Amino acid sequence: MYVWVLAHRPGKSLYSPISGSVVLPARFEMLCNLFYRIKMNVGVAHSEVNPNTRVMNSRGMWLTYALGVGMLHIVLLSIPFFSVPVAWTLTNVIHNLGMYVFLHAVKGTPFETPDQGKARLLTHWEQLDYGVQFTSSRKFFTISPIILYFLASFYTKYDPTHFILNTTSLLTVLIPKLPQLHGVRIFGINKY
Amino acid sequence: LYKKTFIEHFEQAPMYVAVLTFLGFGVGTIFGYLRDFMRAWGLEKRNVATEREQQKDFVPLYQDFENFYTRNLYMRIRDNWNRPICSVPGPQFDLMERVTDDYNWTFRFTGRTIKNVINMGSYNYLGFAETDVNALKTVTIELQKYGTGICSTRQEMGTLDKHVELEKLVAKFLGVEDAMVFGMGFATNSMNIPALVGKGCLILSDELNHTSLVLGARLSGATIRIFKHNNMQSLEKLLRDAIIYGQPRSHRAWRKIIILVEGIYSMEGSIVRLPEIVSLKKKYKAYLYLDEAHSIGAVGATGRGVVEYFGMSPDDVDVLMGTFTKSFGAAGGYIAGKKDLVDFLRTHSHSAVYATSMCPPVAEQIIRAMKCLMGQDGTTQGLQRVRQLGKNTRYFRRRLHEMGFIIYGNDDSPVVPLLLYMPGKIGAFARRMLEKNIGVVVVGFPATPITESRARFCVSAAHTREMLDTVLNALDELGDFLHLKYSRYSKSSHPELYEETRLELED
Repeated sequence: MYVWVLAHRPGKSLYSPISGSVVLPARFEMLCNLFYRIKMNVGVAHSEVNPNTRVMNSRGMWLTYALGVGMLHIVLLSIPFFSVPVAWTLTNVIHNLGMYVFLHAVKGTPFETPDQGKARLLTHWEQLDYGVQFTSSRKFFTISPIILYFLASFYTKYDPTHFILNTTSLLTVLIPKLPQLHGVRIFGINKY
Repeated sequence: LYKKTFIEHFEQAPMYVAVLTFLGFGVGTIFGYLRDFMRAWGLEKRNVATEREQQKDFVPLYQDFENFYTRNLYMRIRDNWNRPICSVPGPQFDLMERVTDDYNWTFRFTGRTIKNVINMGSYNYLGFAETDVNALKTVTIELQKYGTGICSTRQEMGTLDKHVELEKLVAKFLGVEDAMVFGMGFATNSMNIPALVGKGCLILSDELNHTSLVLGARLSGATIRIFKHNNMQSLEKLLRDAIIYGQPRSHRAWRKIIILVEGIYSMEGSIVRLPEIVSLKKKYKAYLYLDEAHSIGAVGATGRGVVEYFGMSPDDVDVLMGTFTKSFGAAGGYIAGKKDLVDFLRTHSHSAVYATSMCPPVAEQIIRAMKCLMGQDGTTQGLQRVRQLGKNTRYFRRRLHEMGFIIYGNDDSPVVPLLLYMPGKIGAFARRMLEKNIGVVVVGFPATPITESRARFCVSAAHTREMLDTVLNALDELGDFLHLKYSRYSKSSHPELYEETRLELED
């Protein structure tokens, strides 16, 4: 169905920003990242190789995400058994669990892409913007669990048990986002 | 630069629509995971092809996750695509009725045909998709005379007098020196761009270019840079950077810079900004390759394409390419331009060397359609068709704008994408339109950006005013029912009411 006509530069990872060439203005860099990615996209209306990379930049995504977290929190607050600190810690933990699963555990794309499987072993976080670090979506999704952590710490009145829970869950979600851990699989977990 | 106003709309829907779209996809994804879980644990029947038990320990044959979207979202609304038809796809066609017993995993035909479904999906711009016996008489004669196929390439034995006649006619139609025709429209792009550019050249191609252009560019070995869709500032920036910095590491000048654009983009309905591109190309000394697949025959006062639409001369464009599939009711493509260019292509094009040439009955169909358009068959039917298409296009778009739908594209383009946004509405829209006896084409993610699923209408010259009114009334009802009227700039949804209040106030 797809004709594989890719030939990328040997020895260069497709998901690393162009380096060692002319210093180009930032806007142009995005276009440059598409130099070696022009392939045949059958049946699609754009020349975007992996639409997953652009999903988080779409209009309304951040708002939907914030509303989703808000909704989760309201649902948890409505349950009569949970006190306010418990509800906040639960929001934080469930949010971080969801973020870890969808951004750092699930690999590949839910649809076939014409990039011959370059993204199959990459998590969604690693696919964002084709591996370019420090883009606005990455910054947003790094800051939002931190904000949630601050709020949770405040509302749990810095209680030690809650603190340990919140901090460990924040770390599970912050550490995979570091640029140094791009493509790193510790102990081979989640490699294939 | 522009002799008439160039109006293009790409209105954005209100933010709540985007949020609801993402919620829709989110719910679909969660249910997808749930169903996958149930299928994995045997609580639900597995309908997809799976490996045998003995193969489970081997490396998997295919990725389950890559099929996630197909399994869980596409399958739910699969009955809206690939519908079998049993008549010629003219302005109306007959569909074979099919039902599904297991939620679109398998279909079966009931044996009935749904007759006279209004066809809003075929690229039948001038209405040449017809089975009128008198109209196709010459084609049948040629079929008897020449047979169905030519088993040879252009350079060996495959050039017939029909091809020479057709090429002369195409050149005359477009107002250029010479033309060459190829058997396949897709192959015209993918086989000729490699002949024109090679390593050390630069290709500047639009964001939304068709697959054939992308493939041709990729096969050529040239460097490809993409500019934002129809955005002249982006193109100018790329041109300036290319000329200032040259090739990536050696900084030598580029051997050739070629700009690849299309006349009408089929998913957006936008028309290329040709005057600005031509002035840019002249300023920076680049070449221009214009793919008029959808625009030849469909725009322009006499159907000569975007060059005529903007009142420019065909000498401004270096390579004029087009297909005969859309407006001429045939198959194949052409490349036209200066005689030197076409002679070069006759010797160097991959298609001329390796691919079989166009078959004679198809060539005769194109000749007949083109003669009709040029008025050489003695009637004004060709011009009437072009005028009717223009009228239909303007009427259809104006009414849709008035109703309050969000439509993309230029006011003069016969391709009309109507934005649906939410994944649930894609299926609902297509199914309900079929119930009202109208066939439409819908597209969703990942073929379009995630928030911009759309239904695409292709207006045809063969559509009568009554057919368009039927479609518009159905769209009106459906728009109210499905809440598709997101436009904030609609002129007036009920102009007759406005008239009444004005009379009342005058009292």
